[in-house]
Amino acid sequence: MSRTIFTVAERCVACKSCEIACAVEHSQSKTLAGAILETPPPQRRISVEGVGAYSYPSRCQHCSDAACMTACPTGAMQRDGGTDKVFSDHDKCIGCWMCVVVCPFGGVTADPAGKKAVKCDGCPERTARGEAPACVAACPTDTLLYLTPEEFAAQRRQATAHAAVCGGESATPNGMDILRSLKRTH
Amino acid sequence: MQIVIIGNGPAAIAAAETLREQDRSCGIVMLSKESVPFYSPCPLAEYVEGSVPKERLFLRDPDFYARNAIDIRYGRPVTRIDPQARQVWAGGEAVGYDRLLIASGSRAFVPPVPGLAGTRGVFELKTLDDAEGILERLEVARRAVVIGSGFIGLEAVQALVRHGLAVTLLEAQRHVLPAMLDSEMAALVERRLVEHGVQVRTGCGAERILEGEDGVRGVLAGGVEIPCELVICAAGVRADLSILDGSGIAGNRGILVDARMRTSVEGVFAAGDVIERPDAPEKHRVVPNWPNAVSTGRIAAWNMLGIDRRHPGLEAVNVVRVFDLPVASFGVQAGDSCLRWQDGAGALRKVLLKDGRVAGGQLIGEINGTGVLHEMMKKGTAVERFGTHLAHPGFGYIHTLEPLRAVKWA
Repeated sequence: MSRTIFTVAERCVACKSCEIACAVEHSQSKTLAGAILETPPPQRRISVEGVGAYSYPSRCQHCSDAACMTACPTGAMQRDGGTDKVFSDHDKCIGCWMCVVVCPFGGVTADPAGKKAVKCDGCPERTARGEAPACVAACPTDTLLYLTPEEFAAQRRQATAHAAVCGGESATPNGMDILRSLKRTH
Repeated sequence: MQIVIIGNGPAAIAAAETLREQDRSCGIVMLSKESVPFYSPCPLAEYVEGSVPKERLFLRDPDFYARNAIDIRYGRPVTRIDPQARQVWAGGEAVGYDRLLIASGSRAFVPPVPGLAGTRGVFELKTLDDAEGILERLEVARRAVVIGSGFIGLEAVQALVRHGLAVTLLEAQRHVLPAMLDSEMAALVERRLVEHGVQVRTGCGAERILEGEDGVRGVLAGGVEIPCELVICAAGVRADLSILDGSGIAGNRGILVDARMRTSVEGVFAAGDVIERPDAPEKHRVVPNWPNAVSTGRIAAWNMLGIDRRHPGLEAVNVVRVFDLPVASFGVQAGDSCLRWQDGAGALRKVLLKDGRVAGGQLIGEINGTGVLHEMMKKGTAVERFGTHLAHPGFGYIHTLEPLRAVKWA
């Protein structure tokens, strides 16, 4: 199985590193300094959503039966045969926003400046080089992981087994523990 | 097995592609009214406007029909269906079928206004031919009247304004986009139109089309004569049910189908704009839009091959841009209570609740996250616990995860 992005929601501390890395990756210069100066500004395709103390990096799930692909009347929204990721062809997109109103995850957003639908494309250039997508590479808490399903399942199994043996204490600190530890040091 | 598909639109193509994926051997005949390959009707206004080139309308390569062994027959409007003989009559020729799919789509509704049908310079905006006709007429037209302010009407208005025409928009009901918005939201849209120089006249239907030597010369509306050289009639679409005559296939506003897209006659299926779901709530019975056409086309194809698949229900959702201002609407327009959010810069979001569940929503300016709300409506999620967050643009998928997380962190 090929590697894909997994999200361990309880580790997220809403630092938004993924958002910045995503926008930089989808800029023309692909550097932070260059991206800041671009007009129109590059858009992120991952969004850290928060409710109360909990946060979660929300992005496209690349559904097998993708509502956005069904809804797209211009053929812009399509699946990449190689990476199996759903992406939007900006040349074909007319910004009708049909994909935005049918996506149950809020994974497609309307970019008002560019008048194009914006969504996660799985960083095809990076993955072709064997690198992890930008958001995963930038995530400091291992909320976002780029693994094969087998690897991810093995990790989770191990963590759960460890927790059972060690009396409910998880081996890896979760996001809230990291936040609390940060607060203690100051 | 011989499968005949009436139509060559999104529902017909989605069905044909699904059939081919599942079954290489069945014969597929497609009967098309028009004489061009499959194209998307949704960007036609953009084509008229000039922002989408013609070749972009065609979503399949020229080789598509041959490669998939589809016998496409152009210029064959179906005149009669004979389920006893398992035949359809098109262009004086009988075509036999084992399974029939009616995906003939809808046609523009032309209100009974004298002169509206047949006057030169009066167009609908439903087919590629209509768009070509409008483009030709634009060469002599300086003023235009658009009848009807549904989403096709509004898209037409923008295309014409961007061509530099003076445009008057007539809407017989009290406000614009009557099927999508309430009057408060519609007022925002109207303001946007007026800002761009459109004359908006609501509560005012066309009474007569005035014809001169060079086609249309004006429209009489509300007792006032509006001079114009071009009229676009966008008063809504209706399913084209004339082919059902004498076939015994039940129809009301559309062809009545069940969740498997079966009609009342064995071996005959229907999909796309032409269908009606009599078992669904009022708002979800007839919803002619692209996503429904594609999804019903696929479901029909599965069931024609004897593979049991059910359609979850038509999606009553639509979105339109009014001079780049996005306007989205789903579900009903009035509920028990209404949650609202506005940012003071022109964005306004309303979520309508009924029995503690999302029943509909209208969003202007800030439409991100509409899909999440729409999904909650479809699933019937209890939303009382979200309070006013529901209408906020930050309301996202995480809220549906909250209970799990709350237990974990307790």
